[in-house]
Amino acid sequence: MNNNVIDQSKDITILELLDRVLNKGVILTGDIVISVADIDLVYLGVKLLLSSVETMDQLKSGTKKAE
Amino acid sequence: MNELIYLYCISDSLPDPGFNQGQDEIQVLTFGTLNVFVKYVPKSEFSEENLKKNLADIIWLEGNARNHVKVINQLMLQINVMPFNFGTIYTEEEHLKKFVTEYSEKIIQNFNIIKDKEEWSVKIYCDRKELSEKIDELSEISAELEKQIMASSPGKAFLLRRKKTEMVETEMDRLCKFYGQKYYNAFESVSEITSINNLLPKEYTGRTDTMILNAAFLVFRSNVSEFLKTMNDLKKSDECSGFKLETSGPWPPFSFISIK
Repeated sequence: MNNNVIDQSKDITILELLDRVLNKGVILTGDIVISVADIDLVYLGVKLLLSSVETMDQLKSGTKKAE
Repeated sequence: MNELIYLYCISDSLPDPGFNQGQDEIQVLTFGTLNVFVKYVPKSEFSEENLKKNLADIIWLEGNARNHVKVINQLMLQINVMPFNFGTIYTEEEHLKKFVTEYSEKIIQNFNIIKDKEEWSVKIYCDRKELSEKIDELSEISAELEKQIMASSPGKAFLLRRKKTEMVETEMDRLCKFYGQKYYNAFESVSEITSINNLLPKEYTGRTDTMILNAAFLVFRSNVSEFLKTMNDLKKSDECSGFKLETSGPWPPFSFISIK
């Protein structure tokens, strides 16, 4: 019986996910691998995504003043 | 045409036939005693150039990364697995064979470490605003100073209040260390190996509170219920203190693999 599913159903954040699949495990093998520079770009994308989500939330809740 | 070899994970054993439950795409390549779980993918998606392009597409990346973990997690229910980093691709089976053969000793050593265990993630966040509001409950020094302020003349109270503002910052730092260590010790006592990972800034977590601990714990499967009990007890006991405990798992042992 698998009794370890308590948190599996919970939505794992993209950050948590990328933190593992991009930076850990058996790395630096393969004919094609994702480079550190590529990972930096991915994180830049995540940062932009999060800041735009935040801006959307602020706009929705009306806390962001019109500029 | 699917001509590139995408790597999920490697195992020293095989799951029951039919493990992939209709997901025919997952195949096993066996080299000696080691089995590599792979799928064949098209160059249009995974060639070096196209993979780079796709990484910029967060929707593509998230879907593929989730699938990567899902497949490995399913296998982990039956056998010990070592996950590959997402996006590890071979153009030729021969190259993969060379890697597995060359590193087989190291790979087997890693299996001895991760055997019958799974990884759990623990992140602790502190809401400093909430903590500062509860500081008198959590810090004796702060509570004592507050008493003095209440008993002082307005002039003296003003000066003491200024002193307290500075002191609260130091006390909060101390409490963060104290609680971080307390949680870490509690989880460590029910784990085999631990790994402390970098703290992530707010711009990556998208949260308003501050990460004070980012750790991974390698736990014996037979000990996971104890680990979860520890987690629930800590969550209950400290839910009002301004500290938030975020756990996730079971993960394949991503943080505990060292091949090179």
